[in-house]
Order: sequence, then C-alpha cells, then structure tokens
Amino acid sequence: IYMYMYIYSSGIRLAIQGCGCTLLLWLSLGSLGYPLDCKDDQGSITRCTSISQDKLLDRVIQHAELIYRVSEESCTLFEDMFVPFALHSQRNRGGNMCMTKSFAIPGSKSELQQISDKWLLHSVLMLIQSWIEPMIYLQTTLERYDDAPDALLNKTKWVSDKLLSLEQGVAVLIRKMLDEGVFTSAEFTASLERYDVQLDMPDSVLRDYTLLTCFKKDAHKMETFLKLLKCRQTDKFGCFLF
Amino acid sequence: MVVRYVAILHLQTVFLLGIETLAVLGHAPTSEAPRQGPHFTSCLSREQETFRCWWSTGSFQNLSQPGALRVFFLKENSISRNWTECPDYTRSVPNECFFNKTYTSIWTSYCVQLRSGAQNVTYDERCFSVENIVHPDPPIGLNWTLLNVSRSGLHFDIMARWEPPPSADVKTGWMTLVYEVHYRERNSSRWEVLDLEIGTQQSIFGLHTNKEYEVRVRCKMRTFRNFGDFSESIFVHVSQIPSKESTFPVTLVFIFGAIAVAILLILVIFSQQQRLMVILLPPVPAPKIKGIDPELLKKGKLDELSSILSSHPIYKPEMFHEDPWVEFIELDLDGMEAGEKMGCSDTQRLLGVGAQLGSSHGLGVKDDDSGRASCYEPELPEADPDTLAAICLAQHEKGATSLLPQSNLSATTAGGTPPDPDPAPIRDPIPCPTHRPESRPLVQTQLSTHSWINMDFYAQVSDVTPTGGVMLSPSQQSRVTEKIPVEKKEGQDAQVPEKENVGEQQKKAEGKKRFQLLIVTPEEGAYTSEVDAQKVSSGYSHEKSCEDSIPQTIQPPAKKISQEACQQLGGPTGDYQSPYLLPPPIPVPPVSDYTVVQDVDAQHSLLLNPTTTVTATPAPTPTPTLTKPSPAMAVGYLSPDLLGNLPL
Repeated sequence: IYMYMYIYSSGIRLAIQGCGCTLLLWLSLGSLGYPLDCKDDQGSITRCTSISQDKLLDRVIQHAELIYRVSEESCTLFEDMFVPFALHSQRNRGGNMCMTKSFAIPGSKSELQQISDKWLLHSVLMLIQSWIEPMIYLQTTLERYDDAPDALLNKTKWVSDKLLSLEQGVAVLIRKMLDEGVFTSAEFTASLERYDVQLDMPDSVLRDYTLLTCFKKDAHKMETFLKLLKCRQTDKFGCFLF
Repeated sequence: MVVRYVAILHLQTVFLLGIETLAVLGHAPTSEAPRQGPHFTSCLSREQETFRCWWSTGSFQNLSQPGALRVFFLKENSISRNWTECPDYTRSVPNECFFNKTYTSIWTSYCVQLRSGAQNVTYDERCFSVENIVHPDPPIGLNWTLLNVSRSGLHFDIMARWEPPPSADVKTGWMTLVYEVHYRERNSSRWEVLDLEIGTQQSIFGLHTNKEYEVRVRCKMRTFRNFGDFSESIFVHVSQIPSKESTFPVTLVFIFGAIAVAILLILVIFSQQQRLMVILLPPVPAPKIKGIDPELLKKGKLDELSSILSSHPIYKPEMFHEDPWVEFIELDLDGMEAGEKMGCSDTQRLLGVGAQLGSSHGLGVKDDDSGRASCYEPELPEADPDTLAAICLAQHEKGATSLLPQSNLSATTAGGTPPDPDPAPIRDPIPCPTHRPESRPLVQTQLSTHSWINMDFYAQVSDVTPTGGVMLSPSQQSRVTEKIPVEKKEGQDAQVPEKENVGEQQKKAEGKKRFQLLIVTPEEGAYTSEVDAQKVSSGYSHEKSCEDSIPQTIQPPAKKISQEACQQLGGPTGDYQSPYLLPPPIPVPPVSDYTVVQDVDAQHSLLLNPTTTVTATPAPTPTPTLTKPSPAMAVGYLSPDLLGNLPL
C-alpha cells in the first residue's frame, strides 16, 4: 500500500502536467494523508491491513480513472499526430483487433449487473496483467518515432508504471475481499520476444494506434468494473436496479 | 513523412478491411452516394444502455412505405456471425430502429446495414461502438444562488447548480459526466463558455448588476467527445443595491477637502511670501565688507571710511608681520595728510594695471574686468592690499602720463601681458574697498599703527621736505609724487612696494615728477636695517641703483615703476627695503639690468629669472628678514647677507 502513496503523489504530478485541474482536485481530495505503513515487497503485503477496504477500493478506483484518462489522452495525441483522418473511424469500430477480445467480458450493463464481485475483480486483474507487457512494448516502440511528442512518451511511461501499482492494489483487494491469493506480474518473467518484430512504419503506426485504442477501452472497463464494485459495497440493492 | 503514411495506410486499410469480414469500409457518417439514396442519418445513445438509429429514404420516394427498408446489425462478438434485423422498429417514429438493453453492449463494435426490403440491396452501413455515440441528456434542475456582491455594487457572483440527467447512471459509475456551463447577457449573441466541471455546480464571477444573464448547461461523458443537448436556460438578474449614495458623499468630501487644502496652501504662501522667497530663493550675498556700508564708498566719504577701516580688525598691524619689510614703506604722515582719498577708481586702475603688468599670474586681477563693482579681489595675495593701495594711489593720476610708466613697465613685463597704454585701464572711479587703499598707508606706516590710525589712509604727498620727508596732505589731491611711493616700494616686498611704486609713480607723473622723497620710517626700526640707513644717507647711490635695483624687484611693475620713477625723478630709488629717493633726480640711463620675471607665484610675487646672478643685479634685497610667505619669491631676492655685497 506504500506504493499507493507514491502512486498518488506521482498522479498529482502528472495531473499538473496536463491532466486538468479537475483531476488534480479530484486526486487531492482522494489522497488525503492516509497513514500507510505498508512496504512494497510481497512478503509484507499482509501488513497492509491497516487501510480499510473501502479506502483501498476508493484509491483503486481513482487510480483506474486516472489511468483511463491518461490513456485516452495518449490515444488522442497519437491519433492527431500519426494517424490519418481516414482511419479515425477505427475508433468507432471498437476493438476488432484488440487482443483482449478473446476475453469473455460482458459488455452490457445488464450482464454486468449479474456478474459477481469475484468475477469483477478477477476480470480487472486479468485486464491489468494482460496490458503490462504491451504497455512496456508500446513505450519502447513509441520512442522510435521521430517526432513523438514528449507528452505522449511520458504518458505511456506513466501508465506502464501505474499499471503495476494498480495490479498490486487489485491483488490486495482480492486478498481482502475474496480472501484469495493471486499471482501478480512481479512473479512472472516478462518476455518481449513477441514484440521484437520490427514492422514498417505504416504498420507500426497502425499497430500502435490499435494498441492505444484497445488499451483505452480496457482501461474504461477496469474503471467501470471497479466503480460497479464500489457501488455494490455501498448500496448493494441500488446498484442492481436500473 | 506523414504523407507517406497516408498512402501506405490507405493500402493497409484496404488490405486489412478486406480480411475482416465485418471490416467494411465505414467512414464518417456521410452518405456514400451523392444522389442521396437511403442512408442512416444518425445513431446515438442517451444513457449508454440503449441506442437508436435513424435513416432516411433520400430521394427514393418509392421506398418510404414501411418495410421497404430494413436494418440489420451485427454485433462484433456475437456468437453467430449473422446479420440480425433490427429488434424494434419504433412505431411512433418513422425510420427509427431502437436497440434495447439486451441488445446494447458497450466495448463492442456494432455494424448496422440499411437494406432494401428484399435484402438484395444494401444502401448504407455504419459501424460504431455504443460508448462512442453516447449523447447524454441535458442536466436538470438548473438554478442559481447569489454568492456575493462587490463593494461597489456593480458586480456580483453566483453559484449555478444542477442535477445530472436522470437517465444517466452516474451513481453506479456507469457514466461519468462532465458539465459545461454557458452564460451570456440577455441581448448578447455570444456565449461565455466555462471550463468543464465534473461536479454539479459552477460559480460564475464578474456579472454586472442591473443586467440580465442567461445561463445554460450541458454535459458529456468524460473521456468522450459528444455533448448532449443544452438544458433549459435560466435568467439571472440582480438589481443594483443603492450603495452609491454612500460613495457619493465620500467623493464630495474628498473634493471639498482638496479645495480647502489648496486654499490653505495659497493663504500660507501669500502670508509668508517673504520668508518663502528667502527659503526658496536665497539671496546671493552681495560682496561687502563687514561694518562698511557700501553707500559710504559710493559717496566717497573717505573720512568715515577711514575711521571705520582703521578700526577694522583685519587691518591690525599684526597682519603685516608677515611682511615685515612692508613696514619700511612709510610715509611721514604726521601732519602730512597727503593721503589721497582716491576712489576705487584709482584702485581699480591700479589693479587693472597691476594685472596687466603682472606676469601670467598677474596680481590676481588678471581679468579685464574693469568694472569691478567692488574692488574685492579674493584672489589677490595678502600683500595685494599693498598693491591695491599702490594702484589706488596710482589711480589718482588722471593724466595719461601716469599710465606711461605703467605701460612701459608693463611692456617690459616678463609676463608679457601687453599693458593698456591708454587710459582705458584706468578704471572709472569705482568705489574701492577701502581696505585696499588702506593697506597702502598701512603698509607705509605699519609700525606706527597708532600714529596713522588717526590718519587718512590715503595721503597725498603735498610736498617734500628738504630732508627728504614727505609732506602729506589729507586732502584729496593729485598725487605729487607718485613715483616716490613707487620708488619707495622698490625695496619692499613684492606686492607692497609695487603698490607703493605704482602709487608713487602716479603721483610723480601727475605732478611733481622730480620730487625726490626720502621717506623715513620713524618707527620701523625693526625693519630698517643699517643698510637702509646707509642708503638713506647715501641716497644718491640709490639713484644709480634705481635702474639696477628696479630690475631686481621681483615685481616687474614695481621695478618698472621704480625705474621709471627713477628715470623721471632722475634718481634711483635705492634699495627696496627703504624706499629712499635721492633728492637729486639725476637721470640715469637705464641700465639694462633687468631681471626677467619668470613667473608669479601663488602669492603674486614675481619670480625673477634665476639666471641673473644675484650679485650682478645689485638689487637691493628686500628686508633682511625677508621671510616672505612664498619661498619662491626668495629666488629673486637678495638676502640681507648679499645686500652687503651690493656695490652700492
């Protein structure tokens, strides 16, 4: 949970960079000094019981929202910079080429209302973990662009870092709420061989654009799931009705 | 580089789209057929839970009946990859297809097709994601509250509040809305747009009172771009609080206060005008002598002047201790009021002449200012009073002859300043500080201070006694023997004898030129050496030494004067210490034994040419105690020791 302090402080910094005053205010309200005494290594995660579940969930939600906003801004930046207007409609086409489309994630609200908390949390974790590596790859590939704006690079890097934090937060949340142990990406050995293919520039642009749009959508999913989860925590009955 | 991308991406797009079964080229929602066939007009969702699509028949009027056109959709991740017909053709609204919640999924791509009734012709197709076509409903419950009014009563701030649209599920976080507030003046055409607000309230600042404003709000999903419709406008109006009444008198008070202060200042200035003038414009102090009324000088009342000046502290004999040998120049003023009540005109003339005669430094009267309002010349050395006295004396000469010797002398001045041979240098009668002429008689009778205190400062020599004494007449007469004092001054120190000589010279030139006065200084024993006494006795020898001694004087004017005096008198002036004039005015050919005046030191003492040996120039040395203030003057002076060596 110690990471969350760092996360939120970094988040505030990023907000100043250009995420807007509303986000800054929102984050500052959410990150009032919580006395955390958690350490960031795995062994001491169990010590982070000092934070309440609700506050943890709030922080996770804020984190997810921030990631979603930053991903949307990155996508817009990339789109304005590198993607011809003719292909902008791809955004509307959804994630046809997203790799996560294989996941059986319900899209309708009604379906989501019926999903259990466990499933929500695991879906979120799965989404996060599925994007850690691609974001690292995106970070490296964006640097190969000649005129990539620094804001874009910074945002993607920031997102990569925050994804890890979010993953740990969700892992703790799962442990708290579901009393389950999950594997975090820190335990995996990331391999980037799949992404070493050096495509041509147009292909690279298309691929990166697809990556960004897909990630943006998945970030939206994470945020929505977590919010839904929170709604259930506070008002179980109200969240099921619509 | 992007251009390359465009071309390649186009190819790529076609290629990729070709692969994808669902990837039919669906660009911007524009009709692909220019002839406006049946097409989708729009598809939008209001709450991200349902969405609708509308189409139009275009120019094909024969397809307007229901059922002529059919809509099919395909969901991206649907299990069956079949096109499904529109689940609900809205009955109330023509050409509308409604997708309810069961058919609406976000994060998935939909494609809808507009087909003909027989499904053999596809008129239009469109692909989208539901979250990208969400246009939220307008917020509700817009109202405002007054925050504050400015102190001037001209501006006020309000807080506008609203509620999110009821259709949007913001509570569960299904939709995160941001709001945008617009406001404008009632009759304005331009809306003021405020920043996106995530909350449900917005403060508006800087509104003017007595003006009506229109406020409205709309919202959109936070990370998307589609704004919903505007809410109903509300009107804001705040009438101006009559607070100006309190400010109005304050303004009047300030104005009246300022006027009162101005009037007070004017009164003060006028009442204290004189004092203010003194403070602001301090008068330039006119030159004047303490205790002496310039009016006296103007009127020529030398009697009063003499009495005043005699009591003047600066003219105490102590001052002249520095010039001990000045004391030698003394006229026997007992009863011989030969003092000449010269006006400063003489002094001026003398001064001017002296300046001309002087070397480059001059006697301090270097300028051509002949019209000195006051003979006050601060730059003159202390001995200048003597010079001035001499000048004053000399100035008495009205004739041009008086100037001749001066001019001649000046001509030979080492300084070389061409004298003014004309009487022009002779200043017009200008009141002269009496202290100047006074110095001369003072010089003359310095030892007998008490004796001549009662005397006039200017004494005209009326007659010369056979013994060589000078009889001075108190009346202001033309000098009889100017040269006598001139010669007398030969032996004096630089300035003193000069003045004497000049004065004497003038006297001589004017009247009795052949007077030979042997002026004895009664009490100047301290300064009268034996040599002097010898010289007195052997006055004739002085004649010879006139020309000789003349050049020796440091002051060329003095020398010249004395020389001239000697010449005219026919007798040398003798040594400088004791201005003795030998009775027999033997014309002595001038000996070209002139010592060139090198320079005039700071104290207006002439520096003789050191080349001329002291012995060669039998110039009577100045006083034996020639402790002249300026050591440079000693260059041309003979020491008393050397005096004895003079071939006199």
